Amino acid sequence: MTQAPLVSFEGVVKRFGSYTAVQKIDLDISQGEFLALMGSSGCGKTTTLRMLAGLEAPTEGVIRLSGQPINDLPSWSRDTPMVWQSLALFPFLNVVENVEFALKMRGMGKADRRRRAEQWLDRMQIAEFAGRNISQLSGGQRQRVALARSLVVEPKILLLDEPLSALDAALKVRMQSVLKNLQRETGITFVYVTHSQSEAFSMADRVVIMSRGKVEQIGTPRDIYRAPRSRFVADFLGSSNIFSGELARDAQGRPTIVTDSGDFILPGVGAPGIEGQKSSLTVLDTRMQVHADAPQDVQNSVAARMVGEEFTGATATIYFETQSGQEVRVQKTHEELAGLDLQIGQLFHLSWSPSDGHLVNE
Amino acid sequence: MNQENQANRNPWVSGALKLYVVLAYLFIFAPILASFVFSFNSDRFPTIPLGHFSTEWYRAVAADPLVWEGLRNTLLVGVVVGVISTALGFGAAYTDYRYSFMGKQLYMALALLPPTIPVVIMGLAMLAFLSRLNLSGDALAVIIAHVVICAPFAMAVIRLRLSQMDPSLEPAAWNLGASEWATMRHVIVPFCRPAILGALFVTMAVSFDEFAIAWFVSGLNETLPVKVLGFLQGQVSPRINAIGTFVFVISMTLLILAQLLLGRTAAKDKE
Amino acid sequence: MRRHVSLYGLTVSLPLLIWQLLFFVFPLVFLIALSFWTVRNFRMQPDFDTVNWITMYGRGIFWQAYATTLALATMAAVLTSIFAFPCAYAIAFKLPERAQRWAIMLMVIPFFTSYLVRIYSWQVFLSDAGIINVMLGWIGLGPYGLLNTPGATLLGYVTLALPLVVLLQLFSLIFIDRTLVEAAHNMRCGRLRTVFEVIVPSARVGLVIAGLFAFILSFGDFVSPIYLGGGDPTTLSILITDTTKSGQQWPRAAVIALTMIVTLMIVAFLSIRFAYRGRK
Repeated sequence: MTQAPLVSFEGVVKRFGSYTAVQKIDLDISQGEFLALMGSSGCGKTTTLRMLAGLEAPTEGVIRLSGQPINDLPSWSRDTPMVWQSLALFPFLNVVENVEFALKMRGMGKADRRRRAEQWLDRMQIAEFAGRNISQLSGGQRQRVALARSLVVEPKILLLDEPLSALDAALKVRMQSVLKNLQRETGITFVYVTHSQSEAFSMADRVVIMSRGKVEQIGTPRDIYRAPRSRFVADFLGSSNIFSGELARDAQGRPTIVTDSGDFILPGVGAPGIEGQKSSLTVLDTRMQVHADAPQDVQNSVAARMVGEEFTGATATIYFETQSGQEVRVQKTHEELAGLDLQIGQLFHLSWSPSDGHLVNE
Repeated sequence: MNQENQANRNPWVSGALKLYVVLAYLFIFAPILASFVFSFNSDRFPTIPLGHFSTEWYRAVAADPLVWEGLRNTLLVGVVVGVISTALGFGAAYTDYRYSFMGKQLYMALALLPPTIPVVIMGLAMLAFLSRLNLSGDALAVIIAHVVICAPFAMAVIRLRLSQMDPSLEPAAWNLGASEWATMRHVIVPFCRPAILGALFVTMAVSFDEFAIAWFVSGLNETLPVKVLGFLQGQVSPRINAIGTFVFVISMTLLILAQLLLGRTAAKDKE
Repeated sequence: MRRHVSLYGLTVSLPLLIWQLLFFVFPLVFLIALSFWTVRNFRMQPDFDTVNWITMYGRGIFWQAYATTLALATMAAVLTSIFAFPCAYAIAFKLPERAQRWAIMLMVIPFFTSYLVRIYSWQVFLSDAGIINVMLGWIGLGPYGLLNTPGATLLGYVTLALPLVVLLQLFSLIFIDRTLVEAAHNMRCGRLRTVFEVIVPSARVGLVIAGLFAFILSFGDFVSPIYLGGGDPTTLSILITDTTKSGQQWPRAAVIALTMIVTLMIVAFLSIRFAYRGRK
C-alpha cells in the first residue's frame, strides 16, 4: 500500500457496560477497495461499522478518516453514508425526496438538488419511480433508492449493513452484481457488513472475519478460503474437514499430526510448530479423493464408512464417518463419483495430498 | 386464530354470551341515548310517554349568555390545553423512545400517573396550591390543571406511533447529514404528524368534558361542564340534555378525526 | 447512543418534568403542609398544628363516611368486574375480528361523553315519575323510590367504571395463548372449568388491575353519591367538596384528601401484590 489508508482503526475497543462488543481492532481500509466485515451475529461487525458512522462512540482507540481522527465528530458531520439493513427510507417522503434529503441537509438549492437526485435515480434505473411513495416499490427498487440516497452526496466511502438480507435469493444475486459494478465504476470505498459467506466472498476485495469482537483473519477471499488461519475460521467457512491432534514427526522425520483418526503428514511449507503442541489440520472438502479399496500410492488416507449423501446441482456432498467417529465431508462432481458404488454403510478410503492440508491454530 | 375452535362451540353458550354483550352495550349507551332523545322532547320533566318534538331546550340554552361564556371558556381552555399537553406529551414520548437514564421510571411515573389520582383530590390540591400563587379563579388555573391530566394521554398516543417507527430512521437522517434538530423537524415530527394531531384532538376532548377539577379552580370563569354541574345542582332541567348532546357532538367529531388520522396512517404503513 | 447530556435532550425532556413537578407533585405535597395550617376568622394561616387531624379523626361522621366510601367502592369494583367479565370474554373469544374492532371503538365513546349528562340521564330513569317507574306502572307495580339510595350510587359508579373495566379485561383476555385453552380441552377440562382454571388465572393481572381502576374511580367520585345517592350516606368525596366549597375549611379537606391517598396507595399495593402473587 503506497497510499495512506482512507480509514484506519487504531486499537479500537467498544464496551457496553460490562459487555465488550469490540476488543482492540486494528484495521486499515484503503481508497477504492471493497471490504467485507463478516461474522455471525454478535461478533462486533455491525458495531464496528456503526462506530465508523459515528452512531457509537469508541470506548478506547482512534478512528481516522483520511488521516483525521473522527472520534468526536457527530454522525451528521461526517461523510460516511450508510445503507441500512431495514433500508430506513423515509416513509413520508417520496422517492426523489428521499434521495434529495442529504443534499437538502447540506443546504443545496431546490433546483440543483432535484437535478442531482434525478441523475442518480437515472443511474440506478429507477427514474420512472421518482414521484412514487416508498410503499409502492418492490424490494429491489427500494434497495436502489437506498443506494441512490446514500451515493447522491458522492462520498469517498459507503457503509452497507446487511443491505440484501431482506431480498429473496434470486434478487440477492442480481443485486450483488449491481453493487460490485457500482463500486468498480465509482471507485468509492465500500465497507460491507454481512453474515453471508457467499455475499462477502463474491463481492469483496478483502474480507475481515470477526468473532466475539476480535478480528480472526483479514485477507482476500482466495487466501482465506485456501488457508484459514484458525480453527474458528475453518469451522465458520464450513468447507474444510478438520482433524485435531498433536504435532509430531514420523519415522522419516517428516512433520505429522497425530489424531484419533490416524497420523497424517503435514504440508512442507509453513512453520509446523513445536512437537507435542495441539493443533488442527484442515483439508478442503473438494480436495479429498474417494477410493473403493485402500490406495497404495498416497501419503495420507483414512478409512471411513459412508453415512449420507446430499445433492446440490452439479455436485454431491458425501458424508463419511471414520472409526474414531469423526465426520468427514467430501464434495465431488457427479462425473468424479461415476465409478463408485455409493451405498450407505459401505467402507471407503479417503485420501489427500499433504500439500492440500493446512495447519491452523486451535 | 382469533376465534375459538369451531369443534368445541356450543351455539347456545355463544348465543347467550353475544346477547349479554348487546345488553351490556345497551346499559352503557342507555343514558347517552336517553339524553339525546330527551333533548328534543317538549316536556319539562323528561319521562315516557314522550311529549312532542321540540327544540325549545336548545333555544333556551342558546339564549343564555352564561352558557355562551362557558362555551367560550371551554373552547379557549380546550385549545390551549390541547396544544400545551401535546407538546409536553410529545417531548415525554420522544424521551421514552430515545433515551435511557437514571430515574427514568420516576420520569415515566410523572408522565403517566396524574389521571389515576381522583379528581376531587387533584381539584383540592390544585385549588389550594394555585390560590397561593394567586392563580385560582382564572382560566389559566383550569389550563394548568388540565394540562397535568391531559399530557399523559398525548404522551400515550404519540409513544404508540413512535414504536411503529423503524429504529434506523433517526440515525439514517443523522447519517445523511441532518443534525438532531434537523432530524426532529424533517423526520420525527413528519413521521409522528398523524399522532400529534390525534393527540391534539384527544386532549381537547378530555379537557372539554372535565368538570371536577375545573369546578374547584375555575372560580367565576366557569367552563361549560362546570355550568352543567350548576344546572344539576339547581332544578332538574332538560337544558342539560341539550348541552350534553352539543358537547357530545363536538367530542365525537374530534375523536372521529383523530381515529381517521391514526387509522389511515396505520393502513398506509401496512401497504 | 450519545451518552452525555445534550442541550437537545434537555430541551425535549425537561418541559414535561418541570410542568408535572410544579403542578402535580408540588400541589400534592402542598396538601401535606396545608393539613397542618390553621383557620382563624375564615382566613388560613401557615402553621404547624395537628388540630385539623384531631378534629377530623375525632368526628363520627368522618369515620362513617370512610366506611361507607370503602364499602361502596369495594362493591362497585366487585360488581363492575363481574358484570364486565362475560362481556369482555365474549368479545375476546366469540366475536370475529371485525366485530371486535367495532366493539372496542364503541366502548371508547363513553370516555368522551359527559359523565354529568349520563348521571342526569339516570336521574330521569330512576326518579319517582321516571322511565322505570312508568314502565313498572304498566304492569301494576310501584312506584318505588329508586333515586337517592345507595343502589343508585352504585349504578353511577358502575356507569363510570364499566367501559374502562371491560377494555382492560378485554386486553388481558385477548393476549391469552389460545393453545392453552385447547390444551385444557385436550386434558378433559370442560368449557366452564376452563374459564376458571385456565383463562381467569392467565388473565389475573389484568383482571385485578381492572378492578383496581374501578375502585379508584368510584372511591374518588362525588357526582354519583350526590346526584344519584342524594348525599346520604355521605362519602369522603362529598365531605371534601362540602368542606372546601362551603366551609372554607381547606386544611380539613386536606386531611380527608391525604387519608384518601394513603388508603388508595394501600389498596393499590395490596391488589398489585395479589395480582403478581406466585409470579416472578
